[in-house]
Amino acid sequence: MDKNNVSGGQTILIVEDDEFLRSLTAKRLEKENYHIEVAVDGENAISMIDTVRPALILLDLLLPGKDGFEVLKKIRETEATKAIPVIIFSNLGQKEDIEKAKALGVDNFLIKANFTLDDVVGKIKKLLVDK
Amino acid sequence: MEIPRPSHLVELGQRTINPLIFWGVITIFLSVVLGFMVREAGVADGIHVLFLVPVAAYLIIMGFFIGYVAKLNRERSRLLAAQIHEESAKVGEFKKLNQELEAYAKQLFDKDFELTLANKRLQNLEQAKSKFVAVTTHQLRTPLSAIKWTFHMLLQGSLGPTTADQHTFIEKGYESTQRMIAIINDLLNVDYMDVDRADYNFLPVDLPALIDSVMFEFTNQAESQAVALKSFKPPSTLPRVIADPIKLSMVLENLLDNAMKYTPKGGQVTVSVGDARMNSAESSLEVTVSDTGIGIPSHERDKIFHRFFRGSNAIKTQTDGTGLGLFISRDIIEKHGGAIWFESEAGRGTQFHFTIPINRNNLSKK
Repeated sequence: MDKNNVSGGQTILIVEDDEFLRSLTAKRLEKENYHIEVAVDGENAISMIDTVRPALILLDLLLPGKDGFEVLKKIRETEATKAIPVIIFSNLGQKEDIEKAKALGVDNFLIKANFTLDDVVGKIKKLLVDK
Repeated sequence: MEIPRPSHLVELGQRTINPLIFWGVITIFLSVVLGFMVREAGVADGIHVLFLVPVAAYLIIMGFFIGYVAKLNRERSRLLAAQIHEESAKVGEFKKLNQELEAYAKQLFDKDFELTLANKRLQNLEQAKSKFVAVTTHQLRTPLSAIKWTFHMLLQGSLGPTTADQHTFIEKGYESTQRMIAIINDLLNVDYMDVDRADYNFLPVDLPALIDSVMFEFTNQAESQAVALKSFKPPSTLPRVIADPIKLSMVLENLLDNAMKYTPKGGQVTVSVGDARMNSAESSLEVTVSDTGIGIPSHERDKIFHRFFRGSNAIKTQTDGTGLGLFISRDIIEKHGGAIWFESEAGRGTQFHFTIPINRNNLSKK
């Protein structure tokens, strides 16, 4: 079987307010046969998580309204969603940000500029396989 | 200033007369009147002359006496007037001085107010600058991510085939973006340093735990660069060191960042921590960051801790930096009362070592 089909249509929720970054990420992940849902802000993300129940969430930090930290907190506090793997994918990335996200129970923290989308695919696969 | 008229002068209409003359005239007048009165009363000539003498003498002496007192009085008044004049001149001067003093005080107050305002403005500016740098660098990373990912997708062929020529150009674009991102990352670190450069917050720190937390930040990078990242700790518990954990993390980040940057694929980066008492008289812990990277050329070893210095072989590699990392690291280690040094062989790798004293005493000695 083609390795692109390993993911078997698992749903990934991309929470990203920048349209171009969002579409690039979606495009790259769709190539891996993931089913992609997108949210453009914090509130949007929280309601999407309830309805979509993604296998993994790719979460930006700087979002309009509720920021990524609040969304992460909400995910971890909710019984039904607290086991969903979350990767923070942001251009924030000072020590305090990383530590704050770690304390809230994030699975990985990737600074967008420091990684390629191929790297991100690798991280996602690792988390979904480990799960 | 008006000078008061001396009070001893007798006033006659508009004119003033010396009292000596005044009394003299009165005495002579009275003597004559008295002489006539005595002669009219028919008293013997010898008697009235004898009677007149003491009266006249008395009047004359009185005249002189009064004249003398008046003269003294006049002198006193003159002195008094001069003194008043002098004092009032002084009062005027004091008033002037007082006014000047008030003016200076006001100026001083205004200046102080201005300085306080200026200082406040500078502080705000400093904060604004830091915030500006932080925000812009973060913001800059967003479009740079987009460019980087696009180039990368083009290079992977995800967006369709490219000619060999196009591929080379896209590769250059991708590398340039990588360099720009590296510079922005360095700027963020430097500015972060700048913000709280003055205040060190020393507390007991569990050094192995701090190393673990810094290494966590590098696991992703190590994975994508295919560099093995390992740490070695002694089996026994190490004493805590007195350190500023944020500043110390920065040193480790710098050393690890350099080690990762200059270690090729398949290489190894190792962090170890141990008791340094074997090597030095003071009790301290020693941290070593070793890599199997490009090394530091021997002729450049003296300059490695200089500000903005970058090794010639480091510049040749595509990874970029500001040349501030080691300069800042040495400053931080020295503020902790420790030492930082290295061993290196070009082409084989580098080991950076630093020590942090266990006791606070060593710190105050610095």
